[in-house]
Amino acid sequence: MTSTAQSRAPTLTSASEASSQPVFDWLFGLSVVLMLAAVVRIVAFTPIEATQGAAQKIYYIHVPAAISAYTALTLAALMSIVFLWLHDERADRLAASAGEVALVFTSGVLLTGPLWGKPIWGAWWTWDARLTLTLFLWFVTAAYLVLRGAIEDPTARGRYSAVLAVLAALLIPFIHLSVYLFRTLHPMPIVLKPSRPSLPTEMLITFTLSCCAFFLFCLMLIRSRYRLALLRERAEVE
Amino acid sequence: MTPQGAPDTTSYYHAAYVVAGMLYAGYVLSLWWRSRPRR
Repeated sequence: MTSTAQSRAPTLTSASEASSQPVFDWLFGLSVVLMLAAVVRIVAFTPIEATQGAAQKIYYIHVPAAISAYTALTLAALMSIVFLWLHDERADRLAASAGEVALVFTSGVLLTGPLWGKPIWGAWWTWDARLTLTLFLWFVTAAYLVLRGAIEDPTARGRYSAVLAVLAALLIPFIHLSVYLFRTLHPMPIVLKPSRPSLPTEMLITFTLSCCAFFLFCLMLIRSRYRLALLRERAEVE
Repeated sequence: MTPQGAPDTTSYYHAAYVVAGMLYAGYVLSLWWRSRPRR
């Protein structure tokens, strides 16, 4: 049996099971409820910061979106390594799903960042290391999805895109450390750092709740996208 | 309510939440749209 045939075999089995799995289920409801709870907490029960005003509250959706993007892209890279190692099509499918969700959250970071930067820095954008590397990550993740769409053979598609996913994930530590390595306008981490978080307790609780909500939302989107991929494969088989 | 002396940056705060909401809701809608049974 060729490697292509081996990689296609599980598709038929798993795709036939797809009809019993809805794209959205209880996890979607739970993640939306948690997300709404986080928004209510941010809007009504979190104090406004004295020097930045209300714009500081963008922090509660900007940073959790970045963490979710990093999580999704790391998962895509890990599953890509699993695919390169075991040639398991499920790993490739999960990598593709996580890659697409990573692009959505990276877009969230790049959209909310300028809306925070304009009132605080006086500029929508600046070409400092953190911002430029994040924009580069967006382009590499987009290129990953474009590459997947351009190759028809599943084995070649999985192999080439897996390499790109691993290279994209290698950017993550550079992005996180860029504020220490270079002189940047972007502030240093105030929670994700070796020492104690610098946020007041009320804001820290809100940030933690928002991170949990975004993390669950991210996992739900990856799972839903995975199930959509199963549905599509089933449709192709039929 | 904005504390005394703090700049009024409420419009940016609202805009960021609206844009983020549209992005994530749009992606959920795209998943739903793509999962519809095709004839």
